[in-house]
Amino acid sequence: MTSVNLLGVAEHPVLGESPYRDDRDGVPYVPVGDGGVVLGLQLGDSVFGLRADHAAPGVCLIHPDQAARHALTAFACIGNTVRVRSGAADGAVGKVVGKRGEEGRVIVALPEDRLGQVRPGDQMLVRAVGQGLRPPQLPRDVMVLNLDPAVLADLPVDMAGDSGIAVGVRAVLPGKVAGNGIGRPSVSWDLDLQIGQEPPAAELRTAVPVLGDLIAVTDIDARYNMGYRRGWITVGVLVHGGSPLPGHGPGLTPILTGPASRIGAEPDPAGHVGLTLESLQLQ
Amino acid sequence: MKLEVSPAPLVRQVLTGEVWPALADRHVYRVDPDGHPFVLPGMGGVTLGVHCGDPATGHASDHLEPGASIRHRDPGANMALQYLTCVGNKVQIAAGPAAGAVGHVIGQHAYVLADFPEPVLQQLAPGDPVTVFATGQGLALPAHPRIVIKNCDPDLLAAMPGGTGPDGRLEVHVAATVPAEAIGAGAGMVSEYANTDLMGAYQGLGADLSLGLEGLRIGDIVCLSDSDHRFGRGYRSGYLTVGVISTGQCMLFGHGPGPSTLMSGPADAFHILDDADANLASWLHPWPDEIR
Repeated sequence: MTSVNLLGVAEHPVLGESPYRDDRDGVPYVPVGDGGVVLGLQLGDSVFGLRADHAAPGVCLIHPDQAARHALTAFACIGNTVRVRSGAADGAVGKVVGKRGEEGRVIVALPEDRLGQVRPGDQMLVRAVGQGLRPPQLPRDVMVLNLDPAVLADLPVDMAGDSGIAVGVRAVLPGKVAGNGIGRPSVSWDLDLQIGQEPPAAELRTAVPVLGDLIAVTDIDARYNMGYRRGWITVGVLVHGGSPLPGHGPGLTPILTGPASRIGAEPDPAGHVGLTLESLQLQ
Repeated sequence: MKLEVSPAPLVRQVLTGEVWPALADRHVYRVDPDGHPFVLPGMGGVTLGVHCGDPATGHASDHLEPGASIRHRDPGANMALQYLTCVGNKVQIAAGPAAGAVGHVIGQHAYVLADFPEPVLQQLAPGDPVTVFATGQGLALPAHPRIVIKNCDPDLLAAMPGGTGPDGRLEVHVAATVPAEAIGAGAGMVSEYANTDLMGAYQGLGADLSLGLEGLRIGDIVCLSDSDHRFGRGYRSGYLTVGVISTGQCMLFGHGPGPSTLMSGPADAFHILDDADANLASWLHPWPDEIR
């Protein structure tokens, strides 16, 4: 695998001339937590725990040059090591926990005591490795993406079984809840899940999704652009919290996609353990 | 529809734009659902030979935009043009060999899309200036307060069949009903800008990609199930959205023929009627003699 050092800069949130966005009932709100450095939210917390918009657990990294920002987002993978190299948190070590689309953002978790020292503009070095990963036993029509090779062993993914790949997930959701991110490249966008409705989707009545959970979405092919393909399944990691915006919601960074005949997603609403601070050795 | 519309009179604003060229970058290729690269025309510029009533799919094209694709050169003025222009608005060519010719807006797609008679399109070139007589935003139906109307010229609304039914619901004629699974790129965007790509309409590709939407035509009025477009575009069970197919064939995965939003609200506020003639061609065409 090829490793590259990428430069990310801790983002400052940006707003247009109006501070407001409109929620799905037409009520204006101020989008707190949408990018930048978000405190008090980490892997394991509910995706609906904060009154916030797309809040991610930790620091969002960008690059001031848009083309470099796209490259940063496309090459960074979940589990990549990140080292702070300027500011009060200089020397702190964190991990990539996910990515976001549009202009592109890389989400980095840091130990809570170091996260509070991060200032927008601080530089971080991302040791990017993972795109192109193909475990030897992977069937030809299944793709692994956005994953550091070192992290795969710590996730509830079993590729050794005779009956295909078995993946433990919090829930299996229908493809029709897939929102923003459909039609966009799966290495550089997340897939927002429109699951903030009341009542919740039937699949979530007994499951409270938390950041880091693995979630499966049926009938979505995420090998290249993400889109509808009957009989397929895509598994991803929940990387940011909910959003009041219509068409948006908790975001999924895809890690595994292929025919449902090859990937068995096993929902465990109460006991599922996905990507955690422990598995990333941040706690 | 014979409907009482908002007692507040609508304004008509004169906007300008120009036929905008097709755009590409040095990487050339995009990727189809099966991972194959392609380069195909259809988006931007002037696209000939496809008009309201014609099949939306089956063309060797990507993001097919029938007729003229229009933007404004100034970014702020462009957003005003994109947000305020409504389906059915009159568009007039302001200079060049086709000066004076009149067409209609058929939708939005990050361009304003205007259909003209084919002889007019034959003379149009990127850079030709156009005038858009924008009206429609702010249109409201006092008898249907739960339904939000947007991007809809009042004359288009008046020409559409349907109206308030005996049970008080709004009767709308549609050529097709689209399942929620088909909603592709465009979810999460505001509904006054661009459109909602529909998946499941890739003619010639695998059956596992089909949602039975290959028969859509440009200009078809369609019903999007479980879609709430009142304040953006999102999935919401118990709501529906009525739109007009303004773009056609796509090969880019997750994209497809796209409806521009016309109305949205709780499903029980509507009475949707299947009608194969529910197409802009039934009301904006044939072109009146004076514009030929």
